[in-house]
Amino acid sequence: MDREAFAGFYQRSAPALRAYLVRVSGNSALADDLLQESYLRFLCAKQPEGGEVNFRRYLFRIATNLLRDHWRKPKHGCLEEIPDQFLIAQDVSSQVDLQAALGLAMARMRPRDRQLLWLAHAEGYSHQEIAEITGLATASIRLLLFRARRKMARLLRKHMAGDRSLT
Amino acid sequence: MTFRTCAYEKELRQALKDGHWPAGCLPELRDHVLACSSCSDLVLVTEAFQQARKRSSEEVPQTSNLLWWRAQLQRRRTAAEQVTRPITVAQTFAWAVSVLAAVAFAISQHHHGLRWASWWSEVAPLRLFHLAPSVTHNLDWKLFLIPTIGALALVSGVLVYLVSEKS
Repeated sequence: MDREAFAGFYQRSAPALRAYLVRVSGNSALADDLLQESYLRFLCAKQPEGGEVNFRRYLFRIATNLLRDHWRKPKHGCLEEIPDQFLIAQDVSSQVDLQAALGLAMARMRPRDRQLLWLAHAEGYSHQEIAEITGLATASIRLLLFRARRKMARLLRKHMAGDRSLT
Repeated sequence: MTFRTCAYEKELRQALKDGHWPAGCLPELRDHVLACSSCSDLVLVTEAFQQARKRSSEEVPQTSNLLWWRAQLQRRRTAAEQVTRPITVAQTFAWAVSVLAAVAFAISQHHHGLRWASWWSEVAPLRLFHLAPSVTHNLDWKLFLIPTIGALALVSGVLVYLVSEKS
């Protein structure tokens, strides 16, 4: 991949990858570090064949591995310890209720569930693709996603009901 | 917790992915979502994540140029390490052979009462420059030991270099 091609690929893929890292890690600074490291590893490694779709999947796989490595380090706390305000979107829009509820709900999900939910529902990856990215078995993805989605929906409803009752 | 797949899930998932939900869907599907907890969870979670992704995608990370040049530097550093590795291995091996030979020689002489010290003083340097046939006949075989060790180390180093460079 030459410089021009990389610049284009970066412009198209970086926002989505950063969103994934920010939402799953719950830390913007960490997400920016991992974003840079993901692209560095992507450029230094032998890239997969099959065009940009496979490039993106490979990039998400690198980022997922970096997140996992980060969580395995004992000096870093679990994501459950991160304050909720880091996970809540800062700007205001018509969907503020849902977005605020999503931030609160994400803070209460396990890191792996956050990853699975984001890859499935934000990125629209199939179970097979998620299995390739995360290294989990395809058969497990289905059940894990079902449970995570059910929990997430329950938390979203709970937080949205809480917001409405406050206002 | 029961795990079941709704018959409408695939259709609903596709509609959500394509942005056809809810306006582009049949009333039958909309009615079903109201009644089905699994599908309503899917809609709620997918909409929350899609909105979060859309908003996060507006934040464009830094330029790609810096990452590109950092990757180039890292590639060059890795390539340089790969090129110099055979030389380093050969040097280390040559040193190891020399040290081992010297230690073996010292140990063998130690078992014979450290005669090498007296042997060395007997083999005066001046004698080396007056190699008459009668003198060379009397020279001890040990006189050739040190150059032999040196040559062995040199040849071993070169051989290891050639082998590691080829690999």
